[in-house]
Amino acid sequence: MTNRFFRALVVASLCVFGGRIASAADTKDEKFPPEQIEFFEKHVRPVLIERCFKCHSSDADEVEAGLLLDSRQALLKGGESGPAIVPGDPQKSLFIQSVRYLSFEMPPKGKLRPNEIASLVKWVKMGAPWPKDGVIPVNVPTAGEKPLNWNTLRQAHWAFRPVGRIAPPNVDNATWPKRDIDRFILGRLESSGLSPAPTADRRVLIRRAYFDLIGLPPTPEEVDAFISDSQPGAYARLIDRLLASPHYGERWGRHWLDVARYSDGFGGFIDGRGQPHAWRYRDWVIEALNRDMPYDEFVRMQVAGDLIDKEHGAVATGFFALGPTYISDGGDPVAKAQAMSETLDDRVDTLTRGILALTVSCARCHEHKFDPIPQLDYYSLAGVFNNTNVIIKPIAPQPVIDRYNKAQQVIREHDARIRTRERELKKDGRKPTAAELDELKKQRAELDQLRKTAPPALDSVHALVERGSADMKLALRGNLLRLGPTAPRRFLRILTGENPPKFTNGSGRLELADAITSPDNPLTARVFVNRVWMHHFGQALVRTPSNFGTLGEKPTHPLLLDMLASRFIEQGWSIKQLHREIMLSAAYQMSSRYDERSFRADGDNRLIWRMNPRRLDVEAWRDALLSATGELDRKQGGPPANNIDVPRRTIYLKISRNGDQVQPDGFMRLFDFPQMRATVAQRTPGAVPQQYLFMMNNSYMLKRAELFAARLQKERQTTEQQIDRAYRLLYGRLPTAEEKQIGLAYLKLDNPGDQSGRQKRLHQYAQVLLSSNELMHIE
Amino acid sequence: MNDFNLPGVSRRQMLTRIGAGFGTLGMAGMLAETATASVSPLAPKLPHFAPKAKRVIQLFMPGGPSQVDTFDHKPDLEKYAGQRPESVNRKTLRNTKNGLMKSPFGFKQYGQCGKWVSDIFPHVAEMVDDICFIHSMHTNIPEHAGAIMMANLGHLQPNRPSMGSWLVYGLGTENQDLPGFVAMSPRAQPRGKAANWGNSFLPGAYNGCYVNVGQMHPERALRDLKNPLLQRGELREQADLLARLNKVHLKRHEKDQNLEASIQAMEMAFRMQFAVPDVFDVSKETKPTLEMYGDSEYAKGCLLARRLVERGVRMVQVSHSIDGYDIAWDTGHGDIVGGHARLAKACDQGIAALLKDLKQRGMLDETLVIWGGEFGRAPTSEGQKGRDHDHYGYTVWMAGGGVKAGYSHGATCNFGLTAVEDRVHVHDLHATILHLMGLNHEKLTYRYSGRDYRLTDVHGEVVKEVIA
Repeated sequence: MTNRFFRALVVASLCVFGGRIASAADTKDEKFPPEQIEFFEKHVRPVLIERCFKCHSSDADEVEAGLLLDSRQALLKGGESGPAIVPGDPQKSLFIQSVRYLSFEMPPKGKLRPNEIASLVKWVKMGAPWPKDGVIPVNVPTAGEKPLNWNTLRQAHWAFRPVGRIAPPNVDNATWPKRDIDRFILGRLESSGLSPAPTADRRVLIRRAYFDLIGLPPTPEEVDAFISDSQPGAYARLIDRLLASPHYGERWGRHWLDVARYSDGFGGFIDGRGQPHAWRYRDWVIEALNRDMPYDEFVRMQVAGDLIDKEHGAVATGFFALGPTYISDGGDPVAKAQAMSETLDDRVDTLTRGILALTVSCARCHEHKFDPIPQLDYYSLAGVFNNTNVIIKPIAPQPVIDRYNKAQQVIREHDARIRTRERELKKDGRKPTAAELDELKKQRAELDQLRKTAPPALDSVHALVERGSADMKLALRGNLLRLGPTAPRRFLRILTGENPPKFTNGSGRLELADAITSPDNPLTARVFVNRVWMHHFGQALVRTPSNFGTLGEKPTHPLLLDMLASRFIEQGWSIKQLHREIMLSAAYQMSSRYDERSFRADGDNRLIWRMNPRRLDVEAWRDALLSATGELDRKQGGPPANNIDVPRRTIYLKISRNGDQVQPDGFMRLFDFPQMRATVAQRTPGAVPQQYLFMMNNSYMLKRAELFAARLQKERQTTEQQIDRAYRLLYGRLPTAEEKQIGLAYLKLDNPGDQSGRQKRLHQYAQVLLSSNELMHIE
Repeated sequence: MNDFNLPGVSRRQMLTRIGAGFGTLGMAGMLAETATASVSPLAPKLPHFAPKAKRVIQLFMPGGPSQVDTFDHKPDLEKYAGQRPESVNRKTLRNTKNGLMKSPFGFKQYGQCGKWVSDIFPHVAEMVDDICFIHSMHTNIPEHAGAIMMANLGHLQPNRPSMGSWLVYGLGTENQDLPGFVAMSPRAQPRGKAANWGNSFLPGAYNGCYVNVGQMHPERALRDLKNPLLQRGELREQADLLARLNKVHLKRHEKDQNLEASIQAMEMAFRMQFAVPDVFDVSKETKPTLEMYGDSEYAKGCLLARRLVERGVRMVQVSHSIDGYDIAWDTGHGDIVGGHARLAKACDQGIAALLKDLKQRGMLDETLVIWGGEFGRAPTSEGQKGRDHDHYGYTVWMAGGGVKAGYSHGATCNFGLTAVEDRVHVHDLHATILHLMGLNHEKLTYRYSGRDYRLTDVHGEVVKEVIA
């Protein structure tokens, strides 16, 4: 399949290429005197053959830069950068500039010898003589070959086909399935001779559901209440209660912020600047999810919120505006173009991998090598963002903005007057009189007063704003200084077919948003339900959640994926309904228990015969620590905290783009928080020794241990009770006899009267429980 | 379907058996062995073919040292001083339009090979018979941020794994008590900071550990090495308690690799608390050795590099910096004499001592030392006495690790601006470094986001001519 795409695309690109030849290659044959031909054969052709033809002849494995040097016509036509020679004018001939290493450096592995260059110069000066019979035919296909058949391509790969409305299969075990999801999963298991794991016990379920939906552990009391709730529907009520919690948006907002490569830092080549208003986008995401904003609207707002809701919508476009915006750190035009193209690439990449799971960014410099995404389509999307700017937009009502601006203007004017006066006095070169000094002093006091009484800085957001409505040109090899044909702004052809409507309204973002969220788009819903599934099960149905292309993995359960996606759309893109659908399934409620036979058959759990045991991400782990010590500050939203000592939820810690600028960065990176440079498909958790150095030695952990120990002592009297309480608070269960014994042995003192010794021992014990695998992993 | 079945004894069974010794003998040694045998991502791995070198010390010179004022001697600069021949009439970063400027430093010939070296590197000059110079380096752009990333990541943007991360990913490391990849610099980190030793999308275990040699205390070489409250015996007891509870937990969760890996990481952390302060304690060196290196901060980094690779660390990067400047060699814009002379003085003796030291200990053969920046500086002048960036041609040198000794490869034009003979792109250099380490740069891949990534992307050719 891959090859078919590739071949088809090569043909398409050559068609364009061939078309250009037809118009450019109609130069008439020229006759050259024999001595000039002799010069060519003796001094020029050997150089061309030896040093150029490997990459620039029709026999080359891969012709570089579309440039052939094996006929005079080919040289006159040139490659991507234009004609290679201007007969008679070596100075203007790119071919000569390149062998002189003045523009390109050709041949790249080493400069030609001076006498060879001199010969080439002389040859071009002669008018580039070439023997008539010696023309090597240029093997370029002519125009008129079959264009890409988009309809065929759209049927060729599962992800491009329309989402099917699939009925669940029949299964043998009729009692296990609770929802349609289960019949899809059980069907696969049965045909592989496997059976699903038993249902997890309630203690495990409540912990799983809490961390999954709100990222916090249940209190011992909540665990007890759930376990003893004998009314039917206890579990469904638990899910509903968690979905209604304001903490839900914090948990799932963070998942989305990974997709949005959200950071409080500016990014670009260096990470020198903050984005002081970034948090307003973060809060918008949290609130939108808490309100269960339909996913299609959620996406539309992030692409074009400023156009959809002029008053309040701009904040949502932080999805793009907060991305790394590259700025050249010098005046070099090449580097400036590079910076611009990096910025555009960030936008295209985040949009397409994040929302569509397509690696359109691979088509920035050439046709996509594996998916049917022509380079032209990359620039069709890049063109949309090329018509936008990133601004800091005040969000206050206009009168407030006006008042603020007015006050600032008065301050500026007053300040300028004082400076002018100061300069005048200095210029005079005499000592100012007391009256003059008094006057200045008075003015400075007035200025101070103005500053003090000025309205506070305006609430603002980082947002996209419209700039123009022009198509951009395809950048040859991704170089914005070397332009190819115009790329009309429009949606990807692989998702719409041959002739997608052109975007004409401003930048085209509104039309883009419509195209992305059209129910006919086969990817938007599939990609999102796959991400949600991933966060519930630890593994996605498509295990490359940001690449549904031909190089991505195929879904383990394609029919289930389509059922979920089509139902998601039918149910008004409700994310909370999707959670219910998944969490009420028997599959979700399975135990993560190990089973020898199933493990041997499917150790990777692709058939989903059990729940995957999972490691908590840094946010949930730190929040769990703070819950255990009782410190957690549940305040929501607002500017980020600069230090991990602030006991707010981890989503509210400040994070830089590169992960090396602000205090929380080091802690977050240590526990696998990804670099927010590009959209994050999936966290890659991993245990590294430095994490344990942190847990055992860092003052942050010593402090948490102290607070946790203090809580235990405050709430329970005896050592035994304290151990019980610790296990209940941290793991939602009582210790086993063995665990209790280990704890008691550790806390036993040689001298029972040694109060400070007892204290120290309890701190150490508390620290171990906080550092344990059990706290960091969920069943 | 299942890639993770292991033959014979499972790791869990292994851990269970070892578990008998928990709390009594301590499990450090035993677990360390089983760890390296199976699970640890840092365990030594077989290279693709027999390597010439086993470890790398990169002496990184951010900011762009001038080739024509250090190791690429160009007598024509004096002859044509003030002129601007066509071959140097190329756009540099700031598009300077001045004529050629001769090097303000003298050059002398050294060693059996008769290499010309600038007077600002008298110590390194004594070692030229051990060095392989590559004078024909070139890179993509003349701006620091991108070019530094290219030099250390093989990519202009800071979103790919660093070379050291690739090496540890490919080869693991030989000492399980120390990180596999250590990056150091005096005070300022090179521009791009953590990206220069970052793992990017490779697993976190391959991230480089950064140590600031300027203000380093052995016990604080890495974060959180020292517990402020507990003595070693208490630490051991506490670590054993954690291990024991984790093992009880693991019993209920068989075959969970994450849990097993956690237990091993914890044990490695325990050992690092003692191994790291030891390796970073240069006071354990003899007086002659300390004197050979001299007392500059960069020299201390060089000495630490030797101590680290001696103990099996796979790669050490020592970046140069003075005055807390992240692109130190860029002081060449305004004044070659002031900037370059001071920078060379601050690193020359330490670098030469490192080569001598490695040689004396018989380690140079298997240790690849690489010196160089992200680009060079133009032979034309900027202002009165400075030089602008030059990405068209610059010099990098290597020593030991299977490269030719007393050898010079490639050449710039007769004024030193543009690499013209046997040109070597950064990708080619990376391919060559991997090759010397026994890795095929086209086969060292990592699948991420649906495609295979390489240090050399889709480029790179091994420079066979520099291999002994």
